[in-house]
Amino acid sequence: MDLHKFGFKFFAADAERVDLLALIPVFHRWIQTDALPDLLLDVGDYSHLPAGPGIILVAHEGTYGFDEAGHRRGVQYYSKRPLSGDLPERLATVARKTLLAARLLADEPELNGAVRIPGNELRFFANDRLIAPNTDEAYAALEPALRSFLDRLYAGAPYTIEREPDPRERLGVTVRTEQPVALEALLERL
Amino acid sequence: MSPELAREIDVFEGQIALKKQGKIEEKLFAEARLRRGAYGQRYDNGQRHDGIVQRTIPFPCGDLNKGPETVWDAPGMQRIKIPFGGMTAEQLEVIADLAEEYSGAVLHVTTRQDIQLHYVHIEDTPDLMRRLAAVGITTREACGNAVRNVTACPRAGVCHGESFDVTPYAKAMAYFLLGHPDTQDMGRKFKVAFSGCKDGGCGLTNIHDIGFTAKTWQENGQTKRGFEVVVGGGLGAVPYEAKLFDEAVPEEEILPLAQAICRVFARLGEKRNRGRARMKFLVDKLGIDEFRRLVLEERKILPHDPRWTGYLEEVAAYREQPLKPAKKLDLTQLTPSFDAWRATNVYPQKQPGYAVVTVTLPLGDLTSWQARQLADIARKYAGDNIRLTVEQNIVLRWVAEADLPAVYRELEAAGLSVGGASKIEDVVACPGTDTCKLGIASSRGLAAELHERFKARQQSGELDPALRDLHIKISGCFNSCGQHHLADIGFYGVSRKVGGTTVPHFRVLLGGQWENNGAAYGQTIGGIPSKRVPEFIDRISAKYLEERQEGERFRDYVNRLGKKALKELVDEFATVPPYAVDRSYYSDWRDPREFTISDIGTGECAGAVVPRIEFDLQAAEQRVFEASVYLDEGDYRKADEAAYQSMLIAAAGLVRTQLWDIADDPDQIVAEFKARFYDTQLFQSKDAGQYAGGKFAQYLFNRHADKDRAFTADKARRLVEEAQLFIEAAYGCHHRLQEQQSQAMAAFGAPTAPAEV
Repeated sequence: MDLHKFGFKFFAADAERVDLLALIPVFHRWIQTDALPDLLLDVGDYSHLPAGPGIILVAHEGTYGFDEAGHRRGVQYYSKRPLSGDLPERLATVARKTLLAARLLADEPELNGAVRIPGNELRFFANDRLIAPNTDEAYAALEPALRSFLDRLYAGAPYTIEREPDPRERLGVTVRTEQPVALEALLERL
Repeated sequence: MSPELAREIDVFEGQIALKKQGKIEEKLFAEARLRRGAYGQRYDNGQRHDGIVQRTIPFPCGDLNKGPETVWDAPGMQRIKIPFGGMTAEQLEVIADLAEEYSGAVLHVTTRQDIQLHYVHIEDTPDLMRRLAAVGITTREACGNAVRNVTACPRAGVCHGESFDVTPYAKAMAYFLLGHPDTQDMGRKFKVAFSGCKDGGCGLTNIHDIGFTAKTWQENGQTKRGFEVVVGGGLGAVPYEAKLFDEAVPEEEILPLAQAICRVFARLGEKRNRGRARMKFLVDKLGIDEFRRLVLEERKILPHDPRWTGYLEEVAAYREQPLKPAKKLDLTQLTPSFDAWRATNVYPQKQPGYAVVTVTLPLGDLTSWQARQLADIARKYAGDNIRLTVEQNIVLRWVAEADLPAVYRELEAAGLSVGGASKIEDVVACPGTDTCKLGIASSRGLAAELHERFKARQQSGELDPALRDLHIKISGCFNSCGQHHLADIGFYGVSRKVGGTTVPHFRVLLGGQWENNGAAYGQTIGGIPSKRVPEFIDRISAKYLEERQEGERFRDYVNRLGKKALKELVDEFATVPPYAVDRSYYSDWRDPREFTISDIGTGECAGAVVPRIEFDLQAAEQRVFEASVYLDEGDYRKADEAAYQSMLIAAAGLVRTQLWDIADDPDQIVAEFKARFYDTQLFQSKDAGQYAGGKFAQYLFNRHADKDRAFTADKARRLVEEAQLFIEAAYGCHHRLQEQQSQAMAAFGAPTAPAEV
């Protein structure tokens, strides 16, 4: 599957503590300091939308954000431009960018530890219905690369996969492990 | 998808490829993409102030651009035209998907009943357009110097006050003018609106280039349908109220009248100075009487078009189908929250037992997920009767009243049950500095702040009912996309220097009139710092409540108060503490960067004025390319015909520079081309024989004369080559004539390049 547009969201714990508007100056500072590997462009405020994108940090290569979709908050990144490598490599690249943002946000002094990412629950979504519609066939084509990537990410620890059931929603899965995993450990595996 | 639309998108994709190869001139590509709705966005000149320093954004595309000062890789905005705001559930779902995949999972409804997607890469736009086309939506002429989205009252057909349903007329007008040859050479954008009545504010005909207001009259004992027509209205930096063109234009005359108006505007409207190029300036310059005379003269000589009246059969047959039978609301089962929402967001239709539900969208936004939920709700309760509004909301029509509690519950589950539609908390705002290249101050940041304040006050019971009907509208700059002139309290973004530092401000307008189709514009009073706007609104609204006479509306109150007293009031809020005392004044709402106006880019609203001939020559090139593809495929007949057509397109383009009305008839095109360009030797190059124009012209004449042609491989191959040479010669001819014109104008001291706004 020649999928390049997809994303990850690592869910936050106790996320209601996070003041979304407090993220705006943080993301602007990240642009000033080139804090992430992408070419960071701008900040978007969608805090007025329930279960929406929250606050986004727009980059050339993709979009970072503290997302509220599904009424669940988390750090999200999705790619918007072509990526290099095969699909497992691309999955690792995008997951790594998501985790870097998650770690940075968790360590952000201005937020006083409000953002906590336990690392034991993530959502993957294919953001390209032309290549990867939410069908059994597309999932079958994706699954080997996805499992290979998840095996690497969770280093053999057991995990469960739950597919997005609504065919109109993007092809996606929610992945859970029993125990929390430190972001640092996840990053090291990528 | 219609083959024609598919071809148009293929052509656009081809233009993208050619631009990447440096084979299309940048202004031409910019106008081509604008005419497909692919618009620029803030920072697309590759410059951004990050709050500390101005930085050049190192996009990987290098020097490649998609228009003057518009970097290729910079995210852009895709505007999606929705004629009269009418949508189906399926269309809403498709746009929801596109918003997720190409934008940021947010759909933004505009004050022209369009939907905009932001942060879109230019290379994603052909796929995006194809997916829209598959559900019957075109983005053609959503931007650029073209007829923009035709708007109409979202209550058309169900409103108690209307003369009749304007929907089929608005639809017919939108598709009649779309891509019409007479709308392709305008100096600026052109806006058309329909209203069902004179009293409401839903149609806003008075701010349009052409506004149609429905009316009926008796003629020979029969009720006749028609429209009062106004022309030359417009907001922008200098707002003009539309002038009455005709009190009663019969329905069968509205399409040819619009066509004649477009012709007069295209011919006589300003083309060089974009700041004076809207039709309002032409009407003002000529005077309404002379403008009317010219239009009516033009009308007389228009070649007949069966579409002028052909659509009237559809008008007669036009009916919206309610999904469910009418049923009254059970008034014994109301809850306080439902009742509060019903009071502002439900309009009982003239058809008993049905209602229009307004879905209030904060800042005009909804997420992709919400859009899908809304599509489900529409399918369940309203059918495909969805419309966008110029107040940046969405309405569901034909909801059975008995279903309203269920609709409310389902909207609530989707986060779409916000009340206060058209009330003070339903603040209208353009994108402003969030994404617009021209934005000066943060209209959305201020709107979000005001929305939350008034919503909280309403919920806590602190908001006086007398204030709730006020309208607040905000634009990020003087260009008025937020329609600030039409609000009780309007604002537009400006900047001021305080102690050498730039401070975001808003200029205040008071007393504008939304009703009566935007009949009166607010008075501009003065500027106040952005961060003091909420305080100012509190002050003036408290003063109004305290001093108003019985039944006195806000607009009447501010008019009674007078400009001097209002200025004094505004001036109370004009002061800004020094930077060292309070830095918050030196940044904008929801943007902590120190304020600067250095991010303002060059507007693309009008695009560059690209002469029609350049589009024609490009179309000819596209056609000859298609001919070569047919040749490769072995379809010699199609290759031959396409090559011949490409020469006709190029020849007609040249003829059109002299003869506006050239018909789409090969005999006439060839005859006129021969008389005007061949016999006069204009087509023949005089400079070192660069193009042997005379010889190349013969290629067209020979093919045209060859009526009994055999379609062979050799002939087709030769004709494709000949067509390519003919088109090159046409380009050469056009460039020579353009140069001669520039030299002649320079000799007379006239400007030779379009002036900037």
